[in-house]
Amino acid sequence: MAIVESRPDKASGRTLSPAALVPARVRLPFHRRRQAFLVLLGAPALIYVLLVAIWPLARGVAYSFYDYNLLRPARTAFVGFGNYSALWANEAARASIETTAIFTVAAVAVEFGLGLGLALLLWRDSAFQRACLALLLIPVTVTPIAVGLIFRALLAPDYGLIGYYLASFGLSGPRGLLGDPNTALPTLIAVDAWQWTPFMALILLAGLKSLPSEALEAAEVDGANALQRLRLVILPMLRPAVFLALVLRTMDAFRIFDIVFSTTNGGPADATNVLMIYAVKQGLEFFNIGFASAVANLMIVCIAIFSVAFILLVRRADKEANAS
Amino acid sequence: MSREPSASALLAERAALAVILAVFLAPIAWLISTAYKPARDIFNIPPTLSFTPTLTNFVNVFRYFDLARLIESSLIISLGATALSLLIGAPAGYALARARSKWAIGLAYFFLAVRTVPPVATLLPFYLMMRDIGLLGTWGAVILIDATLNTAFVVWMMFSYFRTLPRELEEAALVDGCSLPGGFLRVALPLVKPGLVASALLCVMFAWNDFLYSSFLTRAESKPISVALLTAYGTKDISWGTLGALAHFSTLPIVAIALLLNRYFVQGLTRGTH
Amino acid sequence: MKTRRMLGIAAAMSFAAFTGARAADKPYDGVTLTLASQNDQFATVMADLAPKFKEATGITVKVDILSYPELLSKVTADFVGHTKGYDLATMDIVWAGQFAEGGYTVELSDLIKRDAAEIKPDDIYPVLMSALGNFKGKQVAFPFAGYANVLAYRTDLYAAAGLKPPETMEDMVANAYKLTDPPKHYGFVANGQKGPAVAQDWMQYNNEMGGSILGADGKPALNSAANIKSLTVYKDLFDKCAPPGAADFDWGGREESFRQGLAAQMQTWSIGAPGYFDPDKSKVVGKVAITVAPTGKGVPKKYGVGGWGMSINADIDEKHKEAAWLWIKWLTSPAVHKQFNLMGAGSYLRISETHDPELLAKFPFLPVIDEVFKNGDGEYRPRIPQYPQIQDLLGTAVNAVLIGHADPKKALDDAQAEAVKLF
Repeated sequence: MAIVESRPDKASGRTLSPAALVPARVRLPFHRRRQAFLVLLGAPALIYVLLVAIWPLARGVAYSFYDYNLLRPARTAFVGFGNYSALWANEAARASIETTAIFTVAAVAVEFGLGLGLALLLWRDSAFQRACLALLLIPVTVTPIAVGLIFRALLAPDYGLIGYYLASFGLSGPRGLLGDPNTALPTLIAVDAWQWTPFMALILLAGLKSLPSEALEAAEVDGANALQRLRLVILPMLRPAVFLALVLRTMDAFRIFDIVFSTTNGGPADATNVLMIYAVKQGLEFFNIGFASAVANLMIVCIAIFSVAFILLVRRADKEANAS
Repeated sequence: MSREPSASALLAERAALAVILAVFLAPIAWLISTAYKPARDIFNIPPTLSFTPTLTNFVNVFRYFDLARLIESSLIISLGATALSLLIGAPAGYALARARSKWAIGLAYFFLAVRTVPPVATLLPFYLMMRDIGLLGTWGAVILIDATLNTAFVVWMMFSYFRTLPRELEEAALVDGCSLPGGFLRVALPLVKPGLVASALLCVMFAWNDFLYSSFLTRAESKPISVALLTAYGTKDISWGTLGALAHFSTLPIVAIALLLNRYFVQGLTRGTH
Repeated sequence: MKTRRMLGIAAAMSFAAFTGARAADKPYDGVTLTLASQNDQFATVMADLAPKFKEATGITVKVDILSYPELLSKVTADFVGHTKGYDLATMDIVWAGQFAEGGYTVELSDLIKRDAAEIKPDDIYPVLMSALGNFKGKQVAFPFAGYANVLAYRTDLYAAAGLKPPETMEDMVANAYKLTDPPKHYGFVANGQKGPAVAQDWMQYNNEMGGSILGADGKPALNSAANIKSLTVYKDLFDKCAPPGAADFDWGGREESFRQGLAAQMQTWSIGAPGYFDPDKSKVVGKVAITVAPTGKGVPKKYGVGGWGMSINADIDEKHKEAAWLWIKWLTSPAVHKQFNLMGAGSYLRISETHDPELLAKFPFLPVIDEVFKNGDGEYRPRIPQYPQIQDLLGTAVNAVLIGHADPKKALDDAQAEAVKLF
């Protein structure tokens, strides 16, 4: 631990004042020039995202205050927070927030655990590992609706390649993993993990590959065993990649739609009724744009709360790590 | 990452990977295999793996789909969106990682927030926007929206990786007379190569398997293979054979791209850079 | 081999009776029409027929085959945004209310009147003309694919049990119990998956058992005594006579279980019927018969009708509209529509078709379809603008009952409370 953190410390302790080295022909002070350069690098992305994303987003927020149905545009009326209160009053919608949260937390946790293990296995730079990585990415490239269809077919208790044997050996209920309210959600979590664990592994692997090799070698020389190295050296340095992987997957898992749509469509009963099933039904089936936007905005708020809580946790962990 | 793993450790590692690979690929293998089966043999009671091979499904796929066009659309959309997002996202990630302003982290979260928006809220306004600027039904519309989400992602990804780089590396280069752009392009960028390659791979894949935006924004002649894949999903039945045959063409290019990029996916921070 | 057969038919067709348009009169030569088509059997057949249409008229028809949810959202976005992406779109029977209310499609009544001599409307089953496109006097689509709800049953299992095909719903239920012998075969199968799948199948049974979704006043009556009773019978059938996976079946799973020989009887759309006789697809070839669906004792003999109409986008210019109308007339003309079905479209429309010797030789169950269309009911799924929401409420309620999470009365009471808010 000490080995790792001492290097940057020592380095920053070195007195280095680039401003003093700025050639005379440049009039602006160095830190100004540097700032301008960074703004120049950052501006295109910001402008682009603002132009393309903000208008639709703002429209989405505006729609949520209207009773606006595409099929009956003439009846559009301003309803204030009416859509939101209707949403809150709806028991099924409230339950689906909970279902979505359970799905998200469980799926991300499983994917992170498996993804980290996978990344460590793939770390070595050999042709074998490279081929494995390329092949492991295949699940990520399959359109998620098709993923749902595949697993629905495989898990069907009456004729599915896996489901038939699970049911006949009593490993699933007679209705199959997806047909039983107790197992449907865990099964969808597993299907999601099947598709997205390689994604998690790829981000973590990129983090591992960026680690400075001296630190790792030093730890090895210190005689730390593999587990200690992972816990004390690798994971702390990997923190940005871990954070990224967790945040990205959390956001996407919270918006889960396709695999639920093509397997259980929210059932059995309400077992897998995630928020997006609700939102898409309202928006793209009933064309109730006002209400659908309200659901979407509620989801953004949920994700924001979740993110802030997560960031605060990470900050505190950071501080504790630094203090020790 | 031991420098000299024992032969048995290496074997155990490879065996574990092979097993994992099998688990992840088995469902895909099943899908692919449906392409060679008559509809009768896709399911059996009890399920078996045997079937009478047929190529009818491929004949039908070539008959009812313009495959070359579908793959072309997919490649243009995903490579275009990836190039655009890396081009503007990576510099922005660097700028946010190096800026000392308090606003930087806020901006980084803003980019992240853009990605969280569920498409159901923005799809329709975006559709109308594309109509108004005349891009509806073209690859451009899909590239534009995919690149927005991907840029948000790339900015964050690269922000994370640049932050792990000690500033001293560039500062040392500046001391040695390197210019600011040089410090970014020649010093910092090469060191985050794994991050760049991973970003590129993920961008390509996001765009490649996107269904909702592509389905809405393209027309028959510009739709990508991810959308075509789902025409096999009928109301009365699922044409597994068609799905399986099309899946060949939707997975192979991605594996090729992944293998290609993989070659550059090597450790960035090597000894001797400092 | 299926392809070879289709190619053969296509070749034969070029000799056949397409003399409608001479090379001289092709006023729409060079026009291209884009058709958004549901991915049902008819879609690829239309794609195969399109070159013939071009030969006859010079008009190119591009068939864009879409899945159901994609078709609905894309077509609606196209109509609402006035983006003219599609000239023609296939319309599901239950969308008629929405299409009519929005005024998205060309009103066809005048055109039908104008070209009556050509169309021969008397040859089209009246129930199809009204259900597959007419909503409160507005003809928002032209019928081209009528589906009949029929009962498919296993002749071998029926014979082994010494049973006769059911005449009433009560017979069918009794037979279902007698024909259940798990895990070898089950007496019944239907859709159980939450959403449209379970809602639509139950509405069918409910109608046959004398229930109704709307009351006489046109307002929802989801929790009527008849509906509660029929749902109770339905749940028992699922519990005791259906393959265990049926609670999560949609159409694909239901059909598969029948083709696998798992179910002794099943109500289904006639479009799936040719599949049971096709050795490439089915494991029950030679053991299946098709008959009219039973109805409850004392319930009038009315059979479920579904299917698709073809509508013309109201936003396109006159020239394209006329060209699109020409396509509709051509596709539904007696000669072409017969070929359409010979090529496996499974989409019936004309009285002459169900009596055509050539078609009858290939599809011996056509008299059943004729019987259904003569006494057809296209309204058991109410074709009103609120239909999608009602279907959703029922899709949730019925599924919850089937898996034992609610009792029929409570589930339907709750659904009714929500449904009345829509009116």
